[in-house]
Amino acid sequence: MVIVNSGIVGKEFLEMALERCIKCSTCKYGYKNYEKSCPSGEHFLFESYWASGRIRTIRGVLLGDLEWSKELIDPIFACTTCGACSDSCQAPHADFIVEMIEALRELAVQHIGPVKNQEMLVSRCIENCNPYGEVNSTNEDLKVKYDLPDKAEWVYFIGCTSNYRQQSLRDATLRFLKKTRINFTLIDEHCCTSPMIRTGQLSIVNEYMNYNIAEIKKTEANKIITSCAGCYRTLVKDFKKYGVPHNFEVYHSLELVEKLLDKQKIEFGSEFNHTVTYHDPCHLGRHMGIYELPRKIYRKIPGLKLVEMKRNRNFAWCCGAGGGVKIGYPDWAIDISKERLEEAKQTGASIVTSTCPFCKTNLQDASDKYNFDFQVLDLMEILDQLEINFKK
Amino acid sequence: MTSIKERKIYDKISMEEVRIRLEEIFGANNVSNKQVDLYPYSYDMTECTKQMPDFVVIPENKKQLVELVKFCNNHVIPIVPYISGNNVGGLTIPERGGIIVDFGKKMNKIIYVDDNMMYALLEPGVTFGQLEKYLENHFPHLRYSYPFAPPYAGVVGNVILSGMNNMSCKLGSMGDSINGIEVITADGEIARIGSCFYGKDEADVKSWWSRYPMPDLMGLFINWQGMSGLVTKCAVQLWPKPNFKKVYLAATFGLTDVASILREAGRTDVVDDISAVSVEVVKMSVEVPEPTKYPGEPDFAALLVISAKTKKQFEAKKEIVEETVDYLNENGKNIILADVDEFSKLFNLRVRCYLDLPAALLSLVEYSGLTWFGSYAPSHKLEELIEKVDKIFHKHNIPAFIYMKSMKSSHYSIFRPIMRYRKFKGGEEERYHSCLEEITDTCISLGCIPYKTPIWMTAKLREKINPGWLKLFEKIKNCMDPNNIFNPGRWNT
Repeated sequence: MVIVNSGIVGKEFLEMALERCIKCSTCKYGYKNYEKSCPSGEHFLFESYWASGRIRTIRGVLLGDLEWSKELIDPIFACTTCGACSDSCQAPHADFIVEMIEALRELAVQHIGPVKNQEMLVSRCIENCNPYGEVNSTNEDLKVKYDLPDKAEWVYFIGCTSNYRQQSLRDATLRFLKKTRINFTLIDEHCCTSPMIRTGQLSIVNEYMNYNIAEIKKTEANKIITSCAGCYRTLVKDFKKYGVPHNFEVYHSLELVEKLLDKQKIEFGSEFNHTVTYHDPCHLGRHMGIYELPRKIYRKIPGLKLVEMKRNRNFAWCCGAGGGVKIGYPDWAIDISKERLEEAKQTGASIVTSTCPFCKTNLQDASDKYNFDFQVLDLMEILDQLEINFKK
Repeated sequence: MTSIKERKIYDKISMEEVRIRLEEIFGANNVSNKQVDLYPYSYDMTECTKQMPDFVVIPENKKQLVELVKFCNNHVIPIVPYISGNNVGGLTIPERGGIIVDFGKKMNKIIYVDDNMMYALLEPGVTFGQLEKYLENHFPHLRYSYPFAPPYAGVVGNVILSGMNNMSCKLGSMGDSINGIEVITADGEIARIGSCFYGKDEADVKSWWSRYPMPDLMGLFINWQGMSGLVTKCAVQLWPKPNFKKVYLAATFGLTDVASILREAGRTDVVDDISAVSVEVVKMSVEVPEPTKYPGEPDFAALLVISAKTKKQFEAKKEIVEETVDYLNENGKNIILADVDEFSKLFNLRVRCYLDLPAALLSLVEYSGLTWFGSYAPSHKLEELIEKVDKIFHKHNIPAFIYMKSMKSSHYSIFRPIMRYRKFKGGEEERYHSCLEEITDTCISLGCIPYKTPIWMTAKLREKINPGWLKLFEKIKNCMDPNNIFNPGRWNT
């Protein structure tokens, strides 16, 4: 009988690895479409780099068949946790494969640490409250610039990537929100904790979650909106899992856009005459099941021609940035995006669009490195280029 | 702990020297001896004992494999071929250590499909899902046959191990549909078997159209579990896709009534496939985790597939099947025939996984373990087999999961009791193995011949097989592989 330390947050998922998975390998490619779907397995090839292999690694360390050593680091951490395996798997544990991998990482961090550089996701946070190591922005300057109140119905949770790396997305979102005249404000954010959770580094997760909740409560808001797919997934799914449940309504910015379009509160007054292909962010698509909503919005934008990549929706090839891969394996991360852009090129689109600052960053990096000459734009940045009429 | 049997492989050459040579052949990124990379290859879903390989390599072409075979033969290092490890017989567990050759990752190309002569030339790593998609995209008028297996199962592994398919009633064993193979023998020579045997250089891709009429050397490799050489290419037959297709569900009441429909429907010679499962399995396929059969329910459900080129042919086939069931009912059987498409509408769409092969089979993937007694069976013994095996399942308090097929117009049958279990729950593996062993003894005593056999099962077989067969088998093995480098330990070699 294997006893898993009850202090492990992902204990139930480690135990699940012993109960489930015959390694039928259905997780290895898109279910019934048989397209490549796993960036990790396709790159490293050995069984240990596929979902079923990682489940075997869990068993190996729990049963004592595998000793903890640095050799385990790559098979455990070289995975974007994109969830393509979860989508393909048809077994009862399908929905929990990413949780199993994250639990394995939690265990690994205790024994051998994360992969090189991933530890900075925590140390930088401890120093500056964000994983980029940038001086923490209290967002007071933005509150002043956009004339935002201290108390409001909504909090726009910017997220670290938008605030420190993709300010044009942040600013486009702020301008959009301002134009909608919804009553919103900003808080002095700490990292949402997604990068730490994805890499199994949980030491300050609970503290940060509690901090952010307390800050939001101070504004008396009851709704949170974010333009980051990673923050969205974390706010909706992970706060509860990590012992910080909350009652806020959480919206991704595109959900607000859809709501306003549906209620005919906004209409487009200009055209966006470009051919655009949409990249499904894993944290919004496979992790949260949101596929059609962004497409519905793009189709309503006058002039915009939406074309699909061969692998789309639940079959979308990951951008390569998630699961700590961008910081842990930066070259490989960009190569994953390169494969995505090659697919985008076949569509004839000039713009690759997404709804996640992390995807935008990595896709842009690959486009620059490999001279794809794509413009990579978030939905909010496209909307920012349009004349939008708001109705009361 | 994973057991590592005493090995004398590295007395004359060090592991480090082997690693260097393997990296020369395959490139450093395609060779690993890290424990974490080896571990997933050390066991499968069955209760067969774990054994760690020493290396895993990922080949890209046969030139590399020729070098590997020569090197291994020279240094007496075991070679174990691996595609996806889904064989349910421990066949890729490296019983004597050595080198796992993982064909599934790079040697997985569909080399050529011949539309005229209807065959596909494949590398060993091609999966059923991959082939199905390729045909759908490029040759939608052709079909292949798919087994009761996950879509990632390897086509070549399955055909050379005489697996079955969803056209078995028409075609028989998958091994019967091989046109030709290319194989590397222990001395590093490449042999081409079948109509592709002409020529000193590479065979023309259009020359893989027949297995006969030369001496059938294919038998030296089919069902040998990788013990006689490394297959690097294989041509398999394809068939025209029919315009009309229908699947009947026959629910049979009374424990053994299913045997009569298996036999009689097969003998009509109009059925593509007929497979039957215990009613518990039907419940598994609609996601009941630990199903039991309740009084009044049918004991078995059989799926009968018919197909036709024309409407008239289709109607005639339907008439024949329906009349066969009427005849059986008039003669004391209790069989209800239904349209399976209508039946499946009662349940969620996942039940279609079972019908639309290749697919993930929900009844197989519930837990972390799966084992079976998979056998070719004499059709006239089906009733006795069902009765005895059903009793054994109940005695061990394990849900009855019997899967049967009628093969090649009922010339013979498949009889396959299956068990899903929690592999790592204390005592479960032993409990299920004990049940399986009892089933094995019973079925062998009734004449069943297991295929894809684990070594504990071949040990039992050896006690029953005539000495002449065993001597001939050993002579051929010794001749083909004098240093016993190819998957040593299989069939207790």
